Amino acid sequence: MHGLFRWSGKWWPGVIPLVILWGFAAWTSTVPLEADLAQRSTTALKDTVLDKRRIVVAGRDVTFAAEAFSEEGRLSAVASVEAVPGVRLVNDETRLVPEAKPFVWSAERDVVRVTLGGSSPLPSSKSKLMEAARAMLGGVEVSDRMNLARGAPQRFDAAALLLLDQIAKLKDGKITLSDNKVTLSGMARELGGREAIAAALKNLPEGYSVAANDVKAPPYIFQAYKDPVAVTLTLTGYVPDNNAHAALVAAAGRKFFSEKVVDNLKASVGAPSGFAAAVVPALGALSRLSTGTLVVSDREVKLSGDALYEAAATQIRAGLGKEFPQGWQFKPEISVKPTAAPVDPTVCQQLFTDLLGKARIRFESGKADIVADSAGLLDRLIETALRCPNANIEVVGHTDSDGEEGANQALSEKRAQAVTDYLVKAGLPANRFTSTGLGSTQPIAGNDTDQGKAQNRRIDFVVR
Amino acid sequence: MAFLASFFWGWLLGSLLLGLAMGWISIVQHGEGVSKKWKRWLAALAVVLVAAAASRLIPGRFGYWLDLGLIMFALYLCGCAAGSWLRDWVVSRSAPAA
Repeated sequence: MHGLFRWSGKWWPGVIPLVILWGFAAWTSTVPLEADLAQRSTTALKDTVLDKRRIVVAGRDVTFAAEAFSEEGRLSAVASVEAVPGVRLVNDETRLVPEAKPFVWSAERDVVRVTLGGSSPLPSSKSKLMEAARAMLGGVEVSDRMNLARGAPQRFDAAALLLLDQIAKLKDGKITLSDNKVTLSGMARELGGREAIAAALKNLPEGYSVAANDVKAPPYIFQAYKDPVAVTLTLTGYVPDNNAHAALVAAAGRKFFSEKVVDNLKASVGAPSGFAAAVVPALGALSRLSTGTLVVSDREVKLSGDALYEAAATQIRAGLGKEFPQGWQFKPEISVKPTAAPVDPTVCQQLFTDLLGKARIRFESGKADIVADSAGLLDRLIETALRCPNANIEVVGHTDSDGEEGANQALSEKRAQAVTDYLVKAGLPANRFTSTGLGSTQPIAGNDTDQGKAQNRRIDFVVR
Repeated sequence: MAFLASFFWGWLLGSLLLGLAMGWISIVQHGEGVSKKWKRWLAALAVVLVAAAASRLIPGRFGYWLDLGLIMFALYLCGCAAGSWLRDWVVSRSAPAA
């Protein structure tokens, strides 16, 4: 031992190459060592749920920053890094994920995308919600603005997934979950969507409740377009049910005597009350226009187009709104079709015959009251009469052979007079018209069938 | 330590061999060794450095370099001791024959 102590005095020259060796070792080993430790630390934390994880190694010291979702998780993460072989010190910069109070999560839908915002309790539930949103919304872009936070109510994932399902039923709007209170606003994608959402919300997990549901139904739209070129009436949009559907199409058939009715209507719930009572007269007004569009949106009726003459435009503008049920609005945009070129009386007669060949002026049974369905036909007769201002016109009434001849004669006269009054009221000079009743004396078809009788009950216009 | 040894066994082996060589040479080397007073100071310095390393006072890379240096120095000393002892053994065996 004494020898060793004595010899050690002469060991110092070797320290010089040792220092050089040490320098080389430090030079070459530091960076690989740090990389190795960083990789081992990361591997050690593989199964630990953390957010914003950052590992920086200097020498053998690891600076470990992360946000943990519980105190136990945080401590065990630090312990895992400390246990990595070769790590000398761990600078613990971990903390807990901030607690959100109240815990708010939201899903917002606009025209182009769905944005998930607010807080989510764990990275796994965040990615689960994103995946579910992408799956439920098809091709819609889903944007992730969710933070992570502690303090989520129990069964948060189930509630949020159910709400995501509802956002798929919205055209636009926002669903907010604040602790366990749900608030909804926006517009349902389809008619009935609002009701479907309300029904689905009954399945929210226990403890959750709806604070406000302001989801609006989309407008209940009914449209009719009268195309004078194709000679069609196209009906689109919704009707309350199949009965109303059939009734509306039948009414359209009566009012539009020359147009083919193209029926693209669909039955759907959610019609405003008084739907049929408003749409039928509105269709009647449309039948009086040469070209026009009728749009019924909830309780607002918009009618635009060209009336055949000025008095008809005034009547439609002023009259239609009065026929609607309480609470309905009428927005007319009626202009007047330019007057057609005048024609001589022979052409006028031809035009009258053509019109009355397509349809007949109809009256209440046994009475001289013109039914509303004939307004379109009468407007066309008036338009024609305006084109031959110099012609005198005889309005001739006919009946079928049912009943007594005297009564038929009187009825035919009254009906011819009613038509003449209608024409005069529309602005035609009274002195151009004479009304005659011929009873059942001039049938144009046999009176032995209902069809023949119907043909015989008619008004003729004869140009004199 | 075990991790460091396995990671840098090459450098550590180098230190040990350097020490062995130095110990081997030092037996027959003439000239002045380090004085007792200096040895005390150096020993004190070594103790301070070991204490600093053990208490992990020096942070980051400097701390690592200190650890590395001390391990290499310790192995160097072991090498020196073994080398000197071996050489002394060889010299004392051959001396009576001479």
